[in-house]
Amino acid sequence: MTAVLTEPPLTNGRTASRRRARLRRAVPGYLMLLPFAGLFLGFLIWPLLNALYFAFTDFNGVRPPSWVGTENFRRLWLDDPRFRKALVNSLIYVALAVTLTTAAALTLALAFRGTSWRDRVMRTIFFLPSVTSTIAVMLIWRWIFSGERFGLANTVLSWFGAEPVSWLSTPRWTIPLLVLMAVWGGCGYGMVIFVSGLNAIPEELYEAARLDGAGGWQQFRYVTLPQLRPVTTYVVITGLIGAFQVFEAVYIVFRAVSSVGGVQDGGLMLVPYLYDMGFTKFQLGYASAIAWTLFLIIFVISMIQLRVTRALREL
Amino acid sequence: MHRRSLVAAAAAAMLLAAGCTTTGTATTPQQDAAGPAELLFWNTGSDEQAAAMQVAADRYKELHPDVTIKVQAIAWDDGRAKVLTAATSRSGPDIVSGGLSWGIELGELGGMIDLNRYDVTAARQQTRPELWSSITSPGGAVYGIPMDMTLYVFYYRPDLLQRAGLGGPPTTWAELFTAVDRLKASGVPTPLVEEWGTFEWLPWFNYLKQAGGSLYSPDCTEVTIASDAAVTATTAWADQYRRYGVPKATVDVGAGLAKGEYAMAIGASYLAGGFDSGHPELKGKWQTAPLPTGPAGAGSFVGGKIVGAMSYTKYPQAAADFVKWLYTDEAVEILQREVFTRGGELYISPRPELLAKANASDNLKQTLQATLGTVTGPPNCKGWETSGAEVSKRLQAVVNDGADPRAALTEAAQIMRDNLG
Repeated sequence: MTAVLTEPPLTNGRTASRRRARLRRAVPGYLMLLPFAGLFLGFLIWPLLNALYFAFTDFNGVRPPSWVGTENFRRLWLDDPRFRKALVNSLIYVALAVTLTTAAALTLALAFRGTSWRDRVMRTIFFLPSVTSTIAVMLIWRWIFSGERFGLANTVLSWFGAEPVSWLSTPRWTIPLLVLMAVWGGCGYGMVIFVSGLNAIPEELYEAARLDGAGGWQQFRYVTLPQLRPVTTYVVITGLIGAFQVFEAVYIVFRAVSSVGGVQDGGLMLVPYLYDMGFTKFQLGYASAIAWTLFLIIFVISMIQLRVTRALREL
Repeated sequence: MHRRSLVAAAAAAMLLAAGCTTTGTATTPQQDAAGPAELLFWNTGSDEQAAAMQVAADRYKELHPDVTIKVQAIAWDDGRAKVLTAATSRSGPDIVSGGLSWGIELGELGGMIDLNRYDVTAARQQTRPELWSSITSPGGAVYGIPMDMTLYVFYYRPDLLQRAGLGGPPTTWAELFTAVDRLKASGVPTPLVEEWGTFEWLPWFNYLKQAGGSLYSPDCTEVTIASDAAVTATTAWADQYRRYGVPKATVDVGAGLAKGEYAMAIGASYLAGGFDSGHPELKGKWQTAPLPTGPAGAGSFVGGKIVGAMSYTKYPQAAADFVKWLYTDEAVEILQREVFTRGGELYISPRPELLAKANASDNLKQTLQATLGTVTGPPNCKGWETSGAEVSKRLQAVVNDGADPRAALTEAAQIMRDNLG
């Protein structure tokens, strides 16, 4: 602001010349951005806007959509018991999966944060699920929890003389199994993030704490955890978004026993429900309303999380 | 700043308007006259089945040099979604095959051609009436004609039954459940298993028919699921899981029969083809019979595939001609031979008189012939496709939560009524 006041007023010619020069400098940058911008518009913004429009229509995918205003949202929020079931299942699943995954990731990071061979190997082993084909992993889980006697879980039970359990077709087991799969598959990724966060904490803070007489737990409580807050926020929010969008586990593992959502909708979550309405019941307008509702839920929860973290920082 | 906001708002509005232009109504010029045509056929099922169909398509080209047909396999798991996407984008295959109910479902949405325009009288006359009625929409449109059939078969191990003191396969529900108890006592861990829609409405539908019940009235104006017959059926169906230990998840029937872990299985006819090749030790050890009967006699579900033409195809006449050709003796013979040779599977044509030529044992042919006389296809009533999974969940509650069968059926009826609306 000061610079503008102190500079002598420019003539029209000089202004135009400067603008041209600035444009010349910017054009290559914008040109290089164009491919990304095209993809971004075509494959993200366009579908998003289409989905927003369809959310206000009755659209079966083939006939032209007809405008129904907010009817889809009204039906979804007020009249749809399956949506409520999907929402409650999702919230329980997200709370359990995110909490346990974050705790497991932090524990692993504390255990294997070093640079020794042992730590590197262990980190690699725990990170492997993050880079393994999801479908292959889910098919293995399906075999582990097969209701037959040869299923791994039932084989282990049989060593203790127990009868086989119909893991996948017993609704009360559905969410715990999904949480188990999520923690197993997600803790390695969180561990890597936490390790980088742990290694970025200045050693002086621990030295100061030790000089003040802090023990191991106190160092963790008053130095490590506060210093890890931004990393924890990142892990929790990305974990939360991923957990709300769970699909493959429900779709692949429980497809062996039931239609989308598992037996008695025991594993019905928001994205599988969206898929069910859109691609098995051909109600694409309604499915779009579910998609935007899911976006709003994730947005609001993420905002709350960010606000809470900021508030904690200000304490 | 104000101007920048206006520009941003205008850009957003333009994008929104652009985003709202999907209508799915683009018209495709169609060529009904005879002439060169290149058709793409999405065959739902395995690669082997698609390869068998390609042999039939190649033979068709020999007979009709102007028409080239390329067959591609699409998986059952996401087949419906793929076909819907094709219908939405109006691009993709000219011909599709898929579940029996897909035709009515997609046709009513405007995605498939009513084949009545291309005279399917001959096919109608050759197909079993109960199968034809299940693919005919309530308004009379025929969006896909049956391409093959899948029947329910009772598989069993005669040696295990004999060891348990049973003279032969059970013929009634009472005999079935007695056999389960005796086989269990003789050391068979899981005497009976269900396959094909294991814990869904399909196996229950068999019990419903055997008890004399139905889902809808014949004219689709009423929902009839909450009847006394249906309560009887539901109780027996639930008992097989609750009291007789039938697994609720899909099992490997061939492996279980081969190991002697299972002695009896109620499953689809397609299983028969894989027993001997997948489990050579089972060869000569298994037999088949029609399903046990209930208080109202015999009855079971018949499924299979329809084949029809997409509404946007440029060659509706050529597509319809090929679809109709699949009913000829020559086409059926090719498919029976090729499906068996390539995948070891049994191809059951919708023309029951050709069953005698199928690659199957005499025992299996007799079972299928006897079963064919008592089958019922899926309902053709509006909303059944949407209701089926919901009905399953109410039935599952009877088994898992001990829900009262009549209350569960009443809930199911309400859902079906809402969707019938």
